[in-house]
Amino acid sequence: MTVTAAATRELNLVQAVNEALDLALAADERVLILGEDVGRNGGVFRATEGLWKKYGEQRVVDTPLAEIGIVGGAIGLALAGLRPVAEIQFDGFMPAALDQVICHLGRLRSRTRGRRSVPLVLRAPHGGLIRAPEHHSESPEAYFCHTPGIKVVIASTPYDAKGLLLAAIDDPDPVVFFEPKRLYRAARSQVPRGDYRVELGKARLAREGRELTLIGWGAMVQTCLEAAELLAGEGRSIEVLDLRTLTPLDLPALLASVEKTGRAVIAHEAPNAGSWAAELSALISERALLSLQAPVRRVGGWDIRMPLFRLEDYYVPDRERVADAARQTLAF
Amino acid sequence: MPLRTVASLDVQRLEILAADGKLDEALLPKMSKELLLNIHRLMFQIRAFDERAVLLQRQGRLGTYPMITGQEATQCVPPLCLKPTDWVVPTYRGGGVYFARGMSMRHALLYWAGDDRGTRFPEANNDLTFSIPVGAHLTQAAGLAWAEKLKKTGGVALTYCGDGTSSKGDLHEALTFAGQFKLPAIFLIENNGWAISVPRSRQAASQTLAQKAWGYGVFGLQVDGNDALAVYRATSEAVARARKGEGPSLLECETYRMGHHTTADDASRYRDPAEVAAWRAKDPIERLERFLRARGLWDDEKGRRLAERTRAWIDEEIAAYEAFPPPNPLDMFSFNYDRAPWMLREQRAELERLLALKGGAKALEALSPAEGRFP
Repeated sequence: MTVTAAATRELNLVQAVNEALDLALAADERVLILGEDVGRNGGVFRATEGLWKKYGEQRVVDTPLAEIGIVGGAIGLALAGLRPVAEIQFDGFMPAALDQVICHLGRLRSRTRGRRSVPLVLRAPHGGLIRAPEHHSESPEAYFCHTPGIKVVIASTPYDAKGLLLAAIDDPDPVVFFEPKRLYRAARSQVPRGDYRVELGKARLAREGRELTLIGWGAMVQTCLEAAELLAGEGRSIEVLDLRTLTPLDLPALLASVEKTGRAVIAHEAPNAGSWAAELSALISERALLSLQAPVRRVGGWDIRMPLFRLEDYYVPDRERVADAARQTLAF
Repeated sequence: MPLRTVASLDVQRLEILAADGKLDEALLPKMSKELLLNIHRLMFQIRAFDERAVLLQRQGRLGTYPMITGQEATQCVPPLCLKPTDWVVPTYRGGGVYFARGMSMRHALLYWAGDDRGTRFPEANNDLTFSIPVGAHLTQAAGLAWAEKLKKTGGVALTYCGDGTSSKGDLHEALTFAGQFKLPAIFLIENNGWAISVPRSRQAASQTLAQKAWGYGVFGLQVDGNDALAVYRATSEAVARARKGEGPSLLECETYRMGHHTTADDASRYRDPAEVAAWRAKDPIERLERFLRARGLWDDEKGRRLAERTRAWIDEEIAAYEAFPPPNPLDMFSFNYDRAPWMLREQRAELERLLALKGGAKALEALSPAEGRFP
């Protein structure tokens, strides 16, 4: 879509999320927000700042401290016709609600033979590198991507965060919506004032290049762009693909890029074993083998738990590590 | 048929030393002079320690820190009712519990500085690291108590949770198991009024949290959590019952989180200053100190000496904490398995290569020696 410059201004990512929630609450009476500290306090990252005051405690609800209650409750609300946007305060608190997600959230449409659906959005901050305490820096996307029946989205720019969140709230199926907390305040971009959508299931070409595709999502897109810049200084032409929606995946965009460059490196924060990067690697190998000039490489966290923050810089791939993987792939 | 009452609740509250200094002598537990002074010292020292820790955080010398200010009695007293071999599982707001169990506080600082070497407790103790996703440890504590029962050791497990966590299913399941198997467990709900910005009134709609015990056949009691004497009596009796095989207890200790949730929080956004002021008047340390003075156990000179000693102790702990060399990045691969499998050996070597790549071989030599069990 085209937007006139006059109608946009610079926002950071958390402001963009806040604006999307504000618009959704204003536009549709069925929309409500629920979670821990989302009301009076405006969320621990201030994603819901001002909304409790504006829309009241029936629509911006401070829940008791209970993740199963939040997610199970939101499923009930959605089944009965509301449009809940539930917040789980930190990625590390999501596993508590996985029973609701794995056994129910994604299955209710098919278990009711299509008579019911669960149009809810489950928001959570994502990823590391903010010097946070234990269990506050996790990247649990693979658990959700592995679960059929739900969509998994993660933005890397304020523009996309707003447009994707509005699209997620509209979506007739459950959407898990991750927000890279490292970018909440660090990422700034021009964001239109009004309502717009960024279609789910569409990747974004963040940088064009010819020799290798760096594939990332969330905060790692920024790292990939920095690595691409580093490699540009060495005369290499690197493409960066921001997946934006992890599932359903934009397979055409992924294959088109890899078929063009012939080389793929997937960068992410989670452990490589059983990761979403592993799925991408399998898909590329299955469907674009003859275009490949080197094996697909994954650069992720190590196959250990996220260490406490003094060592997180050595766990989450940085631009040097991504560039190193790209160099090895280019030299294959 | 007319309705008839088949069960009734009789939720009691234990208060011994009121905020205004009034004392119920009949309820006063047997406590030696040394024990009383030790409780006072622990509470005084951990408060001073927390104040300094917050300053460190503000100066960028420490990560996010959860102070316990206001909750010194519920934290420092219960561990004194236990043996080192009894199990203790606090919450993340558990500095006072660990301190009363004898933890060297330089390690506590190290943990909150984001260093995995900080999870170190006295070797003879059965202390566990808290669960930051709150409540997950409650069923585990039931399991710890269960094991002591099966092994017939007479050991017990003491575990904590907050008023917020009492809303989670974990407490329901833990109490169900503890009641069903009559486990030697003490569940202490530290009701400090606030789960970050959400008040106690926004959790269960029940009048008390103590009454949850009745749903599981567990002994329940509400306690004035800012009354060190009441906390001591309630906990020591719960421990005695547990050791005798009389089963678990749920103690709701009412106290107040005087500070922010953590240094990353700003409580002025959601809390009425008048409420904070009202709780300041119920301070657990001042209350016990007045009691000690009335009995001739405390005076200004003793206070001055304790303050001095405390300052020196805190200085020493901070100096020792800051003297820890930075962790070797390779440390993160230690202790993940009894024997590290191939992928960890491969990945550790890969990190070593990357470190050399970035900083040259010299960079590797400059690192602290790697610690921990590997492979």
